[in-house]
Amino acid sequence: MESLNTRIRLLWIAQGAIVAAVLGAILVGVDRVIPNVDVPMAAIAGVVAVAGLLAIAYAIRHYQRWQFELQDDALYLERGVVTFVETAVPFVRVQHVDTQFGPIERALGLSSVVVYTAGSRNADVRVPGLTPDRARSLQDTLRELAIESDTDDAV
Amino acid sequence: MNRLHPLAAATQALQRGLAGLFIATTLVTLLTALLDFGSTSWMIVAAPVGFMLGGIYGIAYYLRYEYEVTDTTFDVSSGVLSRRSREIPYRRIQNVDVRIGIGHRLLGLAVVSIETAGGGQTEAMLNFVSEEEATRLQHDIRRRTARAAESRSTGAEHDRETAQAADAEREATDGLASSDRPRPSADDQPHSDGPTPQTAPTARSDDTQQAGYSQHVDRTQSLFDLEARELLLYSFTSFRPALGAGLLFFVFIAIDPVINHLVTVAQPVGGPTDFESATVGNYGVLTIVSAIYGIVITYLVSVAYTFGAYYGFNLSRAGRDFVYERGLLQRYSGSIPSEKIQSVTVTDNPLQRLIDYAGMWIETAGYGPESGSGSQSAVPLAQKDRVYEFTERLTGAETPQFRNPPTLARRRYFVRYSIIASVFVAIVFGVSLVASIGQWYLAAIVFVGVPPAAHLRYVNIQYFVGEDHLVIRRGFWRRQTTVIPYYRVQTISAHRSVFQRRLGLASVVVDTASSSSFSMAAPTIYDLELEDARAVTETSRKRLQRSLRERANEDDLGLTVDFT
Repeated sequence: MESLNTRIRLLWIAQGAIVAAVLGAILVGVDRVIPNVDVPMAAIAGVVAVAGLLAIAYAIRHYQRWQFELQDDALYLERGVVTFVETAVPFVRVQHVDTQFGPIERALGLSSVVVYTAGSRNADVRVPGLTPDRARSLQDTLRELAIESDTDDAV
Repeated sequence: MNRLHPLAAATQALQRGLAGLFIATTLVTLLTALLDFGSTSWMIVAAPVGFMLGGIYGIAYYLRYEYEVTDTTFDVSSGVLSRRSREIPYRRIQNVDVRIGIGHRLLGLAVVSIETAGGGQTEAMLNFVSEEEATRLQHDIRRRTARAAESRSTGAEHDRETAQAADAEREATDGLASSDRPRPSADDQPHSDGPTPQTAPTARSDDTQQAGYSQHVDRTQSLFDLEARELLLYSFTSFRPALGAGLLFFVFIAIDPVINHLVTVAQPVGGPTDFESATVGNYGVLTIVSAIYGIVITYLVSVAYTFGAYYGFNLSRAGRDFVYERGLLQRYSGSIPSEKIQSVTVTDNPLQRLIDYAGMWIETAGYGPESGSGSQSAVPLAQKDRVYEFTERLTGAETPQFRNPPTLARRRYFVRYSIIASVFVAIVFGVSLVASIGQWYLAAIVFVGVPPAAHLRYVNIQYFVGEDHLVIRRGFWRRQTTVIPYYRVQTISAHRSVFQRRLGLASVVVDTASSSSFSMAAPTIYDLELEDARAVTETSRKRLQRSLRERANEDDLGLTVDFT
């Protein structure tokens, strides 16, 4: 089983930090805008701190849980913190494969591979936290495996 | 290239003209109100100009909308300013639907929709053509789709599934047909018990004149007719909560008369006489009465709706396709290629189970006219045994030997429903603190419902891992038994929430390409033991690969399956 790049934790922590900041901003807004509501500064700081700590814990646990593997017939993934999910995506079912990266990912030098199937739920499966090289090689491998196992596509 | 029906030009012109009128008047209003520019008297000029421009656009749209049935594709080119030409290969077409509304019916018009698996909406919608043209199109596309499939199966890319489905289909025909009519084949076993509502196979006169292969492609054979008794049973045993939402909208429009009416109805049983002097108890009674009233009305509307929608339902086989027709005021007809079927689901609700009836739905990856999902009713309601037999013949699945999840799962539901009941009691207690409700603890009576609810949920979760199919059953109010060929599995995953992990349970979610809507979520086997869940996942993956190999091998052998 392959793990993600360790820097993905920073990405998830950053995302958590953004959520915590938004939460803080909302509380400050409530404090300022609504006349009769007074939210003490300490409470706001506390909420933001707790949210931040939770985000860090979640990110670390998420990273520990995330694993994937190219098996004989399928891309196999294990992930999830609250709900553990084990997914198998048979290569025959791969419609197309993308590599993507957002602004934070780019800054961290990370990239994601997104595998699309014709399914209706879980139709796109994302493998985040790969180095650009690994992402490209995974994309190539998946593409080759998908072509190799090409049959009528059941749609 | 063909154009739409000439009347479509008129309706397009009118529609776009009204849109143009609206845009023009809005613009003038905005300019005068916000920018202090111009005056409202401009409206006299702007309104007709807007209408004219819109009308011209509508006519241009009509003139620029063309479609054509070619040898390999169905082509549509449309657009006035930006052009789009679309070619749909026949082998990609999921289903072709014809909708004839009340207005259309009077004028002999029809709307034709052609669905593929791609995108979230109908790929080609001909709004509208004449009824004859619609029938011709449906017929033509079906024949060409079949020819495309035929050439594929004689060529290198042999399609076993198609032939298998066709076989199953033929068997299904025999299975559902009554014994009082001549049969084409020798296997003359009376499969159906009791009187069966079949009509004789109808060979259309114009079809019989066509030669050789198109004859068997075009021959239609009736599989199922919904007889009056079944239609009434279906209408009275189905409840569509979605219609209740529509009624709520009506309530918002006419809020005062509705409230007055509800007050009048609730008064004799202890409702408030007016809102000023009412007590909490009065309001409670009013709420309960309103809820019951809403449910009753929704039920009545749903009975009427179901009756209207499924009046005159019949399913038949035309070549490789299933063809259905239904509707009292608004007629629907459609064709579903058998090789496009993703999964088949048998549904029943407690009432229907009580009288041993069930319905069957076919799911494709396209989007049907109903609820925007690809599931299409194949048998709205019939005796349970017949429906299950038909399903087995259609899919070629063996009779399922269902297995249940471990009893630990039932304990889980017991705890879950207990928590819900506790929350309910807590809420009633909370209300009693602010308002004077005497015996709030009487609310604890809901706990009586917890054990049966947990048990019913548990017994209705079943699964069967067959040779070629996975059968998944779940749900109590709307129980669904879905038959999924391994060949149709897209992804398969095991989910374990925090609570499930504590008990060592897991749920298996099987995703297919059938476009499910919110009412029909992806088939899930809930709360298996972890090893079992993993075993189901493993087996499904192995059998998917096996079915792929089998198809490839038959390719090499160059087997052709004669359709006749």
